[in-house]
Amino acid sequence: MKQLVLFISLVLSAIPVKASQQDAIDDAESWLTQLSHSLNSLNFSTSFVVVKNNHAEPYHWFHGVNENGERLEILSLLNGPRRDVLKKGDVVSYIEPELPPYSVNTETLSGPIPNIFSGDILSLKEHYNIIPAGKSRVLGRSAQIVRILPKDAGKYAYWVWLDQSSHLLLKLAIVNRKGQQLEQIQFTHLDIDDKIPESLNILEKTELPEVVTIPEGFQEQKLSWVVDWLPSGFKHINANRHSILTTKQPVEFQSFTDGLVHVSVYVSPAQEQQRAADFVFDGATIALNQVVNGIEVSVVGKVPSVSAKRIADSVRLLVTNNTP
Amino acid sequence: MSESKFETVSSLVDNYQAQDDSVLQDVLKDNDMADTWQRYHLIGDAIRDELPNELDFDLTDAIANAIAEEPTVLAPIAKPTIKEKIKAKVVQFSKPFGQVAIAASAAGMMVIGVQQNVASNDTQTPYQVADTGRAVGGIAEPVSLNFQQNARVSQEPTMAEQHRKFHALLQDHKQQLKISALATSEVTETPIQEAEKSAK
Repeated sequence: MKQLVLFISLVLSAIPVKASQQDAIDDAESWLTQLSHSLNSLNFSTSFVVVKNNHAEPYHWFHGVNENGERLEILSLLNGPRRDVLKKGDVVSYIEPELPPYSVNTETLSGPIPNIFSGDILSLKEHYNIIPAGKSRVLGRSAQIVRILPKDAGKYAYWVWLDQSSHLLLKLAIVNRKGQQLEQIQFTHLDIDDKIPESLNILEKTELPEVVTIPEGFQEQKLSWVVDWLPSGFKHINANRHSILTTKQPVEFQSFTDGLVHVSVYVSPAQEQQRAADFVFDGATIALNQVVNGIEVSVVGKVPSVSAKRIADSVRLLVTNNTP
Repeated sequence: MSESKFETVSSLVDNYQAQDDSVLQDVLKDNDMADTWQRYHLIGDAIRDELPNELDFDLTDAIANAIAEEPTVLAPIAKPTIKEKIKAKVVQFSKPFGQVAIAASAAGMMVIGVQQNVASNDTQTPYQVADTGRAVGGIAEPVSLNFQQNARVSQEPTMAEQHRKFHALLQDHKQQLKISALATSEVTETPIQEAEKSAK
């Protein structure tokens, strides 16, 4: 009898603990949902700095929603040659030194902040654990920390600091298994307003560069090689042949994503027969390159070097039907 | 007109008689005239054999320019927490070459920086890439700048080539993300997808 009472009391005392853990996770998830909502609905003008190995890239970012419910955005890199991204509704324009200005028909612009943050962020739950990690002070505001931890060790974790009042992003860090921060986005200023920022009003009146049409089937080309291994959750998105912008080297290209991280794999014939893997890091983004049996394989993306190497090693040429 | 301007400077240099105060002010304001003033004094010193052993003509300006052009001025990294320290160690480990450069005296770096910046800064380096992987062998003394440069020259072709390659890859990766309509909007279907569906 005594044992039973003890047992019951133990069970009873355990339940609230479990429940509060679950509450905390739900709480963290609702924080992310609110972040996504705020990124879609608020008018704000903000600055942030992307801190990589030994340098920093400052950006200015305007965001607003006009009366028609269209999202207007301007994202400008403030150092070096001009790089601006403009977004009006579902047209995104890129103004860069390498290319004449062009527009793309897409929902989200491609910048330092992962697209998924303003999309269906909870879809990450499938491959990441979302857990709360307490409170902190960032940008003079009280912030809630949420950690997005990969279920697969072959990926990085993302830590986000969210503003307690507006739920907007105040800081983001990409962190490896040892807890070292490889790349950070630190917001340095944030203005939230009822009205659309003035420069967005100007954007609304400006005509954007012409939309480039990506030829049908360009991203679904049949390539004679496959990538056999990727960290869990990665799905194939694109396969095409193109020339690398600056070196003009023709490559075959496939890209993969798990929703948060994008990995590109490049394959081309090489002049050497073998070359050991070599890599560099640009913040959390690795570029790894090796030559195996006269085939050059490169992997680029925000994944640990071990994963990148394994992806490169797993590239397998398909035996074509033409060979007798 | 400019001829007379320089004559004014000349006379000012020759016998520094307090002419009009406004003339002095003009000289101070005008960069050309200020340069001329400096040059005339230099010539004067040379004639009188009063030159110092070393002349650092416009080094100050060059350094100031280099600093202004330096892309890594902003660094709002938080306090050097323990994590930061660990990170710093890892960075050191992962880029032995950069390490040598850091070990070299700050002044030395500055001078090299000036030359490199002037030569090749502008459009080519939107992002810097940390060296990892291959260590550059044969660097004896971190202080010996000349030696370090020699080592770099001997490694140059492959190193530079690799660097360019990585740079191009990183850039292309970003570029592909931009035109990857599928990648950026998985949830909503793009016109391309719809077109394909209807085609099928």
